[in-house]
Amino acid sequence: MANNYLTSESKKLATWYFTFAAILFGAQLLFGLVAAIQYVMPGFLFEILDFSVARTVHINALVIWMVFAMMGSVYWLLPDETGIETVGIGLGKLFYWVFVAAIVVVVLVYLFVQVGPADQTTIWFIMEGREYLEAPRWADIGIVVVVLGFIYNLYATGMKGKRTGIVTVLMADMLAFAGIYLAGMGYTDNISVDQFWWWWVIHLWVEATWEVFVGAIAAYGLIHMIGAHRKVVEMWLWIEVAMLFGSGILGIGHHYFWIGTPEYWWEIGALFSALEPLPLVAMFIHVLYDWGKQQGAQEAQGKEVSVVTNKPAFTWFVLQAFGNFLGAGVWGFFHTFPQVNLYTHGTQFTSAHGHLAFFGAYATILIGMFYIAVQNKNGIKVMKATKKSIWATCMIFGGVLGMTVALTLAGYVQVLVSRAQMGATWAGYFDGQAGIWFAQGMDWRLIMGVVTFIGFIILIKDLLSIGSATHHER
Amino acid sequence: MVEEALILQDIHIDDFLTIFVSAGLVLVFGGFYVGIYTAVKAELLKPWIMPFAYIAWLCTAYCLYLMGSLMHVNDFTAKTLVVAGLSLLLIPHAVYYMLRRVHEENEYIHEENEEYVHEENEQHVQAKNEH
Ligand code: HEM
Ligand code: HEM
Ligand SMILES: [Fe+2]
Repeated sequence: MANNYLTSESKKLATWYFTFAAILFGAQLLFGLVAAIQYVMPGFLFEILDFSVARTVHINALVIWMVFAMMGSVYWLLPDETGIETVGIGLGKLFYWVFVAAIVVVVLVYLFVQVGPADQTTIWFIMEGREYLEAPRWADIGIVVVVLGFIYNLYATGMKGKRTGIVTVLMADMLAFAGIYLAGMGYTDNISVDQFWWWWVIHLWVEATWEVFVGAIAAYGLIHMIGAHRKVVEMWLWIEVAMLFGSGILGIGHHYFWIGTPEYWWEIGALFSALEPLPLVAMFIHVLYDWGKQQGAQEAQGKEVSVVTNKPAFTWFVLQAFGNFLGAGVWGFFHTFPQVNLYTHGTQFTSAHGHLAFFGAYATILIGMFYIAVQNKNGIKVMKATKKSIWATCMIFGGVLGMTVALTLAGYVQVLVSRAQMGATWAGYFDGQAGIWFAQGMDWRLIMGVVTFIGFIILIKDLLSIGSATHHER
Repeated sequence: MVEEALILQDIHIDDFLTIFVSAGLVLVFGGFYVGIYTAVKAELLKPWIMPFAYIAWLCTAYCLYLMGSLMHVNDFTAKTLVVAGLSLLLIPHAVYYMLRRVHEENEYIHEENEEYVHEENEQHVQAKNEH
């Protein structure tokens, strides 16, 4: 990464965001490993770093690194799309450091303070206790301020420069993304009400606004990496947006089966969430279609070379289309009807879906963005894969797929034993986890987690070194 | 009616595997259907392959039926499944119809204004370099 070919301040800022995202990604995996070891050896780090703490860091780091990488991606593509330098970049830089500092403090508090007196001081200074969004209130408010700055930059730039379809979609989507966060900030001691609003953030993020975000990023990637026609790509994008919001918003009903919300949510949840995989199928086919079309056009001109200008990034983009379909689509559809969810709810099945969906839909494409940044930072015209990038891709994707299979089998045992045979009783809960299938599922999850982690180390090495490899076209 | 909807009938223990496998296959066949359909329309596959797309859709429909009946879905959810299956059948047709129109327009523009398009791209690159 010796030479810096980036002249746009917005792109430089994007690389800062990507760098911190990658660091947090590493932290996420490390704490995931700790939690996975604790499933196999319950005494591991007991009372030093309990499962509850490791899990908190694991899933909050997950959400935050993705938010960082998403903001980075927007700063990255804005100059390309609007044709001008991002407005308010100084503010962007200042807020970047504020955001980083806040996250570091929050993580240190999680690790070293861990628990509070369970009154208002805990909520304000230690943690808020809503899964995935556990940042204490002071940090919550800080995040809102930082994101407001980001939204301002996006809107000011979009209004001043050329406003493409991609920018328009992002402007609307990022506003919704930020606005929804507010739903998770209130406090109520009624657990049903609390969960009701909490799902607004989680579900409406990952199954509506984040999906639209990746749709826009994929559109950008297709235009810039394989030269797909903007008009066609943007038309797909609008179709995807309509389908995603059309099914995803009311699909939230699939979280309102058992939390004390009215029964009509069963039907609403079943209907709309059953439709949710349709746009994911469409997005998958879209990527393959455009790729085939562009490559075909190239070959028709007698050129046998690949149309792809960034092999590792494009590989991750294709894996995203596939992983999104598999993790969110197939694994989501598995348990989205109340009749089945009654049995799968809260088993390792949920965790299998959570892992493959978050990874397949989001981690993949954001890693792809890291590679796009590395390519441009090093002034490379056509970036080819290296041995390291191939190993990293196979190990990370294979590792997460392996974890998912292990968790699915463990979940299946829980469904049969804990739920179907023993009727969700106290004894059933423990018996379901006492069997050999469950235990082996946890062993394999750990093993595949280690594979994933080694893949991650190779990925980082590759990101740091691929720019100076000599086989690219410059 | 409402009372009826509130009671979930137990799923038979031997049926879980079939339910999970058929639920998974719903989307696998669904993907094949949409994929084959798209590939034939994009001329990546020969037209005689098209019937296989519809065969794949029939498999999807059967999996939905199997899954739904073993799950003992209520009337409403049964209708939901039918809607989902039919949407899957229709969506590629609708999308392809719109796509063809945009493509036609786009190819037209592309040929007429080939130079203009190139120019725009170059300006774009220049603008990037200037920063
Ligand atoms: C990329 C998109 C998606 C991501 C990242 C995602 C992630 C997750 C996560 C992490 C959970 C567990 C939440 C918890 O801790 O309680 C969950 C639950 C669930 N997801 Fe998804 N999901 C996605 C898409 C989908 C889709 C498309 C469907 C349906 C077709 C779906 C159906 C469900 C259901 C029914 C649950 C509730 C499981 C339960 O608690 O019993 N998800 N999802
Ligand atoms: C080194 C690899 C990893 C290991 C060993 C690991 C391990 C774990 C463990 C032990 C849990 C707690 C499960 C429980 O509460 O029963 C967990 C939760 C979770 N992890 Fe991971 N993880 C890894 C990588 C990832 C990746 C790559 C992602 C997504 C990009 C991810 C997303 C999640 C999510 C969403 C949850 C919450 C799931 C739920 O509550 O349903 N993890 N992980
Ligand atoms: Fe959801």
